[in-house]
Amino acid sequence: MKALADSKANKYFLAAVLLIAVLIPQVITSPSIMQILILTLFYAYLTSSWNLVGGFAGVLPLGHSAFIGIGAYTSTILYLHYGLSPWFGMLAGGVLAAVIGVIIGIPTLKLRGAYFALATMAFGEGLRVLVENVDTIGPLKVNGPRGLLINLTGNSFIDYQFTSKASYYYIILALLLIILLITWLLMRSKIGYYLSAGGEDPEAAAALGINVPRYKVMAMAISCFFTALAGTFYAQMFLYFYPKSILGLDMSFEIAFIALIGGRGTILGPVLGALLLRPLNEFTRIYLGGILPGMHLVIFGLILILVMIFQPRGIQEPLTRLYRRILYRIKGS
Amino acid sequence: MALLKVENVFKRFGGLVAVNDVSLTVEENQIIGIIGPNGAGKTTLFNCIAGAFPPSEGKIVFEGSEIGGKKPHQICTLGLSRTFQVVKPFASKTVLYNVTVGAFAKTNRRVEAEAKAIKVLEFLQMDDKRDVFAKNLTLPERKRLELARALATEPTMLLLDEVMAGLRFSEIEVMIELLKKIRAAGVTLVIVEHIMQAIMALSDHIYVLNFGGLIAQGSPAEIAQNQEVIKAYLGDDYVTVED
Repeated sequence: MKALADSKANKYFLAAVLLIAVLIPQVITSPSIMQILILTLFYAYLTSSWNLVGGFAGVLPLGHSAFIGIGAYTSTILYLHYGLSPWFGMLAGGVLAAVIGVIIGIPTLKLRGAYFALATMAFGEGLRVLVENVDTIGPLKVNGPRGLLINLTGNSFIDYQFTSKASYYYIILALLLIILLITWLLMRSKIGYYLSAGGEDPEAAAALGINVPRYKVMAMAISCFFTALAGTFYAQMFLYFYPKSILGLDMSFEIAFIALIGGRGTILGPVLGALLLRPLNEFTRIYLGGILPGMHLVIFGLILILVMIFQPRGIQEPLTRLYRRILYRIKGS
Repeated sequence: MALLKVENVFKRFGGLVAVNDVSLTVEENQIIGIIGPNGAGKTTLFNCIAGAFPPSEGKIVFEGSEIGGKKPHQICTLGLSRTFQVVKPFASKTVLYNVTVGAFAKTNRRVEAEAKAIKVLEFLQMDDKRDVFAKNLTLPERKRLELARALATEPTMLLLDEVMAGLRFSEIEVMIELLKKIRAAGVTLVIVEHIMQAIMALSDHIYVLNFGGLIAQGSPAEIAQNQEVIKAYLGDDYVTVED
């Protein structure tokens, strides 16, 4: 990872990838392919946010959809009721998610292994059931299982609505770059070192002066904040959402799948995982969805099993090795 | 003033008294040895001092302030660091990373922490291993890494729990020299050890535990002659009757 920013060749490679990413919407005109690309970046972003806790703090959160939902509902309710711009709502949702993440994290982050995973899963599911059964909270309309519909305003930046897919593409690309930069900075800072140490051996970490629970809660707050931003993005892109679509276990699991297959606790893992799994998900749904619904989950499961057997640290490891080897060849010649 | 004072400490687990009314004093820049047969309560006493769990009764005073019942990370920040009998390296990380984690105790900047870690590694003559992953180290190297990590927190006092167990004779010699160097650098050491060769060569003062209680204390020469100690280790038959 360290080499990523150090050597000149890496910088060129990074710049090239970035350039391609920026130019893609200028070349691709098919809205359905753009949609697949946006969702790929969306999941890469979500998984990168999740990675701050799930990757570095050494626990497996399986209820992150709750924070996506908190983001989507907060910004949308603020917009529908008070006419506040979803851009503001996005930040408000992030802050609310961070606060709730801390409240959930303080008791649960003391749990180890499967117990933490189960606790977060219960929270995620609990929140979905709660929202599905509530029509109004005070004066605010939540609409229970019917969800919320955002009225179409056409192209309007302040309303976070755009007629072109490219705009959404650039927003999520920017968000992804921000979270990757934050991850990179964190990994090289005291917080990152302390998180990894606490995740790997909490007892040894404590003996070295690390307040392990405090750092985990801190990571949880940052992770939840960024996860919630994705919720608002989702709401503004589809302009309609309901509890099952964003609060369900499906999204939580898919994030964990992507992280495990891509490589937990690395910068590139979530991105590579999303690049592999999202298009696969879409195509299996398009081509097999009619005949064998749910087939994409079977394929996910199979890939996960294979990766766990042959590359337990995710596909990022062989891919970085391959990249290094190619680089070496080019330099050698 | 004594650097560490343990006063009448008890630790009970249900009906079992693991540490029974132990008192000891550690002066600045001493090397104190704690010995005793297996199950004597040495590690439990260490755990009480280092904060892994609170003592059931009694006072533990470090640099004039009570630390009994404080959390391990707070105690480390006060300048009292420890190693574990069963080594606990951050296995998937490099040696340098491991030691840098320790060095962050005194700084927030990575560059400073890394420089400090490299210094500690040089001091312990293992800087050639800095890029090796901890999981690939041999046992003696892991023990030394444990020591390096604890030293990187810049402690005034180090509690060493069997850093020599499992080492070969020549490796023990090396470790003894290292510990002497650490003391010369101004760190006070409390060591729990089974290797008599080491404890006798290093300690200024030795405390002997058996069944949770103190049965003897004194200089290495005194302890070697002590009838109670011989009885505890070898049995009644070996006690020389001096009437």
